[in-house]
Amino acid sequence: MIRLISAELFKLRKRTMTRVLLYILIGIIILLYLLLLAVSNANLPDMGPGMEGIPNLLGLPVALPFAMFILSDFGASLAIVLAASVMGNEYNWRTIRTAVVSSESRFKLLGAKLIAITIFVLFGMLIGLVAGFVMSLFTTAIGGYKYDFSFFTGSYLWHQFLQFWRTFFVLIPYTLLGFMFAIIGRSAMPGIASGIGIMFLERIIATFMFLAGGWIAEVPSYLLYANVQAITSLAGLPDWFGTGMGGGGATSMQWPSVPHAVITLTIYSIVFLFVSFYLFRERDVTG
Amino acid sequence: MTPQSAQYNIKLTGEIISGMTNQTTLESQSSVKNGNEIILRTKGLTKRFGSLVAVNNLNLELRRGEVFGFLGPNGAGKSTTVGMILGLVAPTAGSIELFGKKLDGHSWELLRRVGAIIEEPAFYPYLSGRDNLEVLSRSIGGINRAKIDEVLKRVNLFERAKDRYGTYSMGMKQRLGIASTLLRDPELIILDEPTSGLDPAGTLEVRDLIPELANENRAVFLCSHLLHEVELVCNRVVIIKQGIMIANSTVQELVTRGQLLQIKVNDPVQAMTILESLPWIKSVKRENGYIVVDAPRDSASRVNQALAEQNIFASELLSRNVSLESVFLQLTGGTSGD
Repeated sequence: MIRLISAELFKLRKRTMTRVLLYILIGIIILLYLLLLAVSNANLPDMGPGMEGIPNLLGLPVALPFAMFILSDFGASLAIVLAASVMGNEYNWRTIRTAVVSSESRFKLLGAKLIAITIFVLFGMLIGLVAGFVMSLFTTAIGGYKYDFSFFTGSYLWHQFLQFWRTFFVLIPYTLLGFMFAIIGRSAMPGIASGIGIMFLERIIATFMFLAGGWIAEVPSYLLYANVQAITSLAGLPDWFGTGMGGGGATSMQWPSVPHAVITLTIYSIVFLFVSFYLFRERDVTG
Repeated sequence: MTPQSAQYNIKLTGEIISGMTNQTTLESQSSVKNGNEIILRTKGLTKRFGSLVAVNNLNLELRRGEVFGFLGPNGAGKSTTVGMILGLVAPTAGSIELFGKKLDGHSWELLRRVGAIIEEPAFYPYLSGRDNLEVLSRSIGGINRAKIDEVLKRVNLFERAKDRYGTYSMGMKQRLGIASTLLRDPELIILDEPTSGLDPAGTLEVRDLIPELANENRAVFLCSHLLHEVELVCNRVVIIKQGIMIANSTVQELVTRGQLLQIKVNDPVQAMTILESLPWIKSVKRENGYIVVDAPRDSASRVNQALAEQNIFASELLSRNVSLESVFLQLTGGTSGD
């Protein structure tokens, strides 16, 4: 198993796409910070509810949770691309047969791929956090805000440590979703398209379902989006951001409880994982 | 099935066995036994994809030191068979034994002794040739860098090893494929069209390499459409069509099982009528003013006698050897199975 993980990490490390995904993540973080800075500096007559919190987002105490919020949102898309590519491109390049023949078992091959993806996702998250913090230092300087590190306490670090793993936790179902669809479709594209498509469409659908009322309004509680939001909202970001970017404006949507969200997302992850392993084990590898 | 192939008979170790049956009854009785150990054995191997029977009751045996040609038209079931041997495709029925042990789908210890190029070499295009072998060596384990260099040198790719695979020519890709099979020092090498895309010099190199590999106490399982190549390097061939084995013999036995007689007579029309009436003649046709007869081996005198008894005398009677290609085309009906 260690050998297979080593081979997967070697492939990912040598691949340009891995670096490109990382650059995109850093680019998104830089861009968002600069946009927020521009908005906070704009002399707008009425910034609207919640908008007054923008300068706070640029400040150092919120830098880490805000970076993690970006990671849980845009980072999920990148994680889907990574997972779907790692699996799907084996089919696209027809290397899947060689990979299977050179592996101790299909189970271990898939396990090694997932572990390699996990390592790279965690690495990407760390880079994202560093990028967010550096950008916060930058915008603090540019925006003329005061440098104050008094917030940097043990309690703060512990809270961020927990939020880091919460963010990682909400990335898991999306990553596995992309991975599963790459196996189902025997290509990277179905994984990427289905994963990202579901991620964004579900937000809109969930909003409409909530607006429909009655029992339909309860359905989103059993989908991914609402449960992911229930976890990410623990970051303590201003309410305006807590609903998620591109969240369809569902500001009055009630998120499920945290235990409900943890259980639901865990069930989704297990189902995606089970389908991936089952299909990969049972199906003929015909290239 | 064509009437031609249905009537085809193959001489195997003194017996005449129908070469085209629904139930494959041809057991491997190769006279070429460079080693006694059976490396690969399939028994009643069958694969169905829905209603399509891709491989039907296939019995194969491959011994150590043998170069085994596995032939068939496109869609005959060659790749499916190879897929089953390598554990990529689950058989519907039958069994596979590698190195005397049954392959149950989780037999890594058996499969790691097999090197294979399946259909065409497939590697990661963004990695160099060396890095691709590095990935394989990490996956398989127990392979050091010196071995990677060794196999790269053996296939003359050492100088270009640092170039990206995506920039390789087809010939270089094939050579990297062969290098990858040698990486694990396999006892059984499965090569699917190994000279595809190679220039004449490259083809010659690979053609020389194959018997060399077999002489290193390995067995080589060669799938190829290039029948001349198979004729030159293989000890034994199996021909399958629509998943059914239709021939299993040594190359020598196949190509000498019959002969083509080229006859010149003054009355070809009557001569053809006479020859067509003989039950042991397989086919009679006219070609460039000659009558060409597909007859059993050493039957020239019998043909001559049959004509002479009807007062037709041959002014020329030449014997032409049957090539593996003509045997193949005759057995498979000369058409693609697609």
